[in-house]
Amino acid sequence: MWERNLQDLVRGLRANKGDQSRFIAEAIDEIRREVRGDDMELKAAAVLKLTYLEMLGYDMSWASFHVVEVMSSPRFHLKSMGYLAATQSFEQDTDVLMLTTNLLKKDITSAKPLDVSVSLNGLSHIVTPDLARDLSRDLVTLLSHSHPSIRKRAVLALYKVVIKYPEALQYGIEKLKERLEDPDPGVVGAVVNILCELARHNAKDFLVFAPPLFHILTTSSNNWMLIKVIKLFGLLTPYEPRLIKKLHPPIVDLISTTPAVSLLYECVHTCIIGGMLQGSSGFSLAQTCVTKLAAFLEDSDQNLKYISLLALAKIVPTHPHLIAEYESRILSSVDDQDISIRMRALDLLSAMVNQNNLQSIVQQLLQHLVKPDSSLNTTQTAAQSLTTAAASTSADRSLTTPSVVSPSSSTAYRTTLANRILSMCAADLYANVSDFQWYVSVLVDLAYVARAPVGAVIRDQLVDIAVRVREVRRYAVQVSMRILEDSAFISGAKEDPKEGCEEVLWAAGWICGEYSSELSDTRRIIPSLLSPDVSQLSSETVSVYIQSAAKIFGTWAAGLTERWDEDDLPELKKVVGSTIDYLRAFSSNPNFEVQERATNIMQLFNFIRADLNAYKPRSRIPEQSNGFADASTSAFDPVGTTDPSFPKSLLLLDPLFTPYTLNPVAPEAQSSVPVPEGLDLDAWIVPEANIALRHEKEKSTEKKKKKDKKGKAKETGLTGERVDRSAARSSKTRTNAFEVGRTQEEVQAEQEEIAKAKARRMEMLKDDPYYIIDDRPKVQPDDVDSIPVVRLDDMPALNSMGSPKATPPLSMTPPPQNLRSASPAIPVSFTINRAGEMPPNAISPKLPSGSLPKQSPLGTPRSSTPSRLVPPSPYPTYEVDEGGVLPRATTPEMIKVTRTKKKKSTTDGSSKKKKPKDTAAVDQVNGNKS
Amino acid sequence: MIHAVLIFNTSGVPRLTKFYTPLRAESQPLLQKIFQLVSTRPASLCNFLDAPELQNLLGSKIGDEVRVVYRNYATLYFVFVVDGAESELGILDLIQVFVECLDRSFENVCELDLVFHFDDVHHILAQVIQGGLVLETNVDVIAQAVDEASLARKTSFLSANPLALGTGSGPRSSTLQTPLNWLTGKLGGIGAR
Repeated sequence: MWERNLQDLVRGLRANKGDQSRFIAEAIDEIRREVRGDDMELKAAAVLKLTYLEMLGYDMSWASFHVVEVMSSPRFHLKSMGYLAATQSFEQDTDVLMLTTNLLKKDITSAKPLDVSVSLNGLSHIVTPDLARDLSRDLVTLLSHSHPSIRKRAVLALYKVVIKYPEALQYGIEKLKERLEDPDPGVVGAVVNILCELARHNAKDFLVFAPPLFHILTTSSNNWMLIKVIKLFGLLTPYEPRLIKKLHPPIVDLISTTPAVSLLYECVHTCIIGGMLQGSSGFSLAQTCVTKLAAFLEDSDQNLKYISLLALAKIVPTHPHLIAEYESRILSSVDDQDISIRMRALDLLSAMVNQNNLQSIVQQLLQHLVKPDSSLNTTQTAAQSLTTAAASTSADRSLTTPSVVSPSSSTAYRTTLANRILSMCAADLYANVSDFQWYVSVLVDLAYVARAPVGAVIRDQLVDIAVRVREVRRYAVQVSMRILEDSAFISGAKEDPKEGCEEVLWAAGWICGEYSSELSDTRRIIPSLLSPDVSQLSSETVSVYIQSAAKIFGTWAAGLTERWDEDDLPELKKVVGSTIDYLRAFSSNPNFEVQERATNIMQLFNFIRADLNAYKPRSRIPEQSNGFADASTSAFDPVGTTDPSFPKSLLLLDPLFTPYTLNPVAPEAQSSVPVPEGLDLDAWIVPEANIALRHEKEKSTEKKKKKDKKGKAKETGLTGERVDRSAARSSKTRTNAFEVGRTQEEVQAEQEEIAKAKARRMEMLKDDPYYIIDDRPKVQPDDVDSIPVVRLDDMPALNSMGSPKATPPLSMTPPPQNLRSASPAIPVSFTINRAGEMPPNAISPKLPSGSLPKQSPLGTPRSSTPSRLVPPSPYPTYEVDEGGVLPRATTPEMIKVTRTKKKKSTTDGSSKKKKPKDTAAVDQVNGNKS
Repeated sequence: MIHAVLIFNTSGVPRLTKFYTPLRAESQPLLQKIFQLVSTRPASLCNFLDAPELQNLLGSKIGDEVRVVYRNYATLYFVFVVDGAESELGILDLIQVFVECLDRSFENVCELDLVFHFDDVHHILAQVIQGGLVLETNVDVIAQAVDEASLARKTSFLSANPLALGTGSGPRSSTLQTPLNWLTGKLGGIGAR
């Protein structure tokens, strides 16, 4: 019989190209037979074949015991095969590893150096925490082996051991230090190598190595070693500032003399970490570095270009002006065909952006997203590019056109690029964006061209900007209208939900609704928000659409009351009618959110329709009046004498949405919510009695499990007793924290009753063989009813605690007239810069003024940046007129983002720190108020 | 540290895979992904593969600074997956060192040498890298160690199988190998090429 060895297997594989899987299945069967035999040679050959198959993706974990058998062979050629198989196949959780401890111990203490090296190499792969613990002593002994090659391997293996078993370092570190002075350069290199790795985890412990390392730095000429030593110093300097001074001369020397860019890169990196580029001498050093590195940008060798970009990105944060010179070169690197270079250039660019260059950089980056649009209509999916890759042989690879390989077409790259643009601009609360109209258009462009899953980020930024930057709202609304009317997104969402930026529609819908007063053509937008096509969008978007449509209508209708004209009536009726029709379609939407909103708003519109139909113009005969004027409209039809000339239902919707402006929340808002008096946050909401009961129950059930079942009745009885006690205890300590609806006694009695009933039932069921008794400890108390959830409503404190946004339920809003005079809510103000909103202390009734001294009631929500201070108004300011059209600052002045800021500035904000530019706006506020 | 050494040919068939970090579950997809990315890169591009896709695949295991350094020799790609502790250009040199060592021990190494001497390639790699750390970078020292170990394996094999006719460096022939088998193997090898 012929046994097949590895070569035969490979030949077989090559001969059976058509049906490899069957051939491999046969081969594995054969291997299974062979590994069980007694012939060690055969077993080893089988294991080796298996190792080869493992590389091709076949499992060999089942053979791990046989691998250990081969490893334990005394013959070197078999042993090395065994170790090879082990390194390739063993995992941390391979169970046979436990069997290898003695084997490894024997091998690494063997007299034969080759055995030792092969086992050290194997150990480096398969070491587990247990193996590391058991073998670390032997390994440390090997550090002074007579063979340099063994010492070298032992040093490297020690690293792996230390990773798994850090204690080993304690007794190994001294020997390791000795090895730095080893006569063999390879051993020294190995030590430097592992120190470099170890210092990445914990640099402090390795400061003791600094002197010998410094010696190496000044004497060695081996670049490999120098790179590692410099890297190592880069890790050490943060912990030992004195090193910086010491390292300065040799590093400067290296930077100016070395021809190796890799070494230069490491030097630059270490200089930066060590802060050597600070000060006047540092500046010239930085200049030298940048000049040298920038020269590589022009190099034809792409590798050097790559490294220099990498290094420049490190210098940028501290010396941006030095790099600025090379901006054009760096920008051209972003156009490089090589994705690696592009990524590095992107890194560098995002570190370089400032107010001045942001626009040009972003425009250039956008080009990348746009370009393939023209040449290549669809993005390459992974599968497509895989087939392209498989199809292109080595011969034509050099000929492939850039458009095929162009990295711009890969989704991952596009995603990265789009995200980079977004984060670049949004960094530090849009610090670098000076023109928000431009940025809004960038965001929208991105949504069109990105074809990457960045829609959610774009959506959030659009909404964020619209909320924070008042001046850009009109523009944002205009743009949003365009988006809403563009069917490209809807169809795009249908085609490829992953790559389209459908979420942008969410933002557009929301912005149009929230800032509907900025809309130029209200009637046009409602149909596009509610058209049946919309139902293809995600339900979140549709929900927002419905809400927005109501807001828009509300604003429009409220505006009509301003200049009421009887001629508007038919049109109004038409709009209401069509809106109801649209909404009806949504009221049977499968998504409950959409359904609920549609139904709610449809109902409101029904009111309006009824009112409109009942409306009788003063001067004219009613055009039509049918039976719709029923009880529902009577609410809007008071018998009063001061009847306005317009249908009163026109003012139905607007106040539902407009009385409170949405403001950004200050980061510290949550933490500065004052705790209302009388609210004890540490008090139990659910009286402790129940909790205690639960615990006791758990305990007793657990006990039950262990105990004989006969003890059950007694146990449950005991539980009852305990309930009594704990309830009594809690009633003593806790009752006063709550206004408890029922008395503790009642609760207690009920609990006892339940416990008793349960005990009776358990007793009854105990002997029933068909009933599986649930012995597990119950997390949920079975007397859910007794948890007085209702009491929450009675707690006065919780209401006033509110959310930071503190939007009281809208259902409570009084009719418009009342609202305007009595609302305690956050008013719309006209400050240009609004800081994040702070908790409305005004609502919290008895705020101890000492706790948050810097907050004045009602003024707080209007905090602002120090540069553009607005005097805090002691009273709520309203400028929403009947018409609901927001007066705007007349000059479209410089757009600034509002920054969420500390409340401090508000209170002392009456000091006139603001720029003159703002006065106009502020005046307007005051004017409006009066 | 070096996390993986991969060799595959221009059609993506692996010729050697060595993982120094447990990535086994992901090994095949990783191989496919790297092959797909590397094989589409023209020779004029740099030898560092910096793909966002890989970061997603490896980031959780290796950390932020995943670098794939590769070199293309004739029909083979030599790919090293490393992290921030290694110098990119240094690794590029190391690949060169590794290939030179292969060349020395196989004399004009070609893809078939790697296929049929799978174990030897591993033994040579073990003289260059141990457990993800660079063991030696001097080609002469490596070659010497490789020869030593290979000679020891041969001696050990011969002493275990005194009647074996198999030649070559190492224990890859079984007891029953005959010259005939060797000859057909050669023919098959050529035919398949």
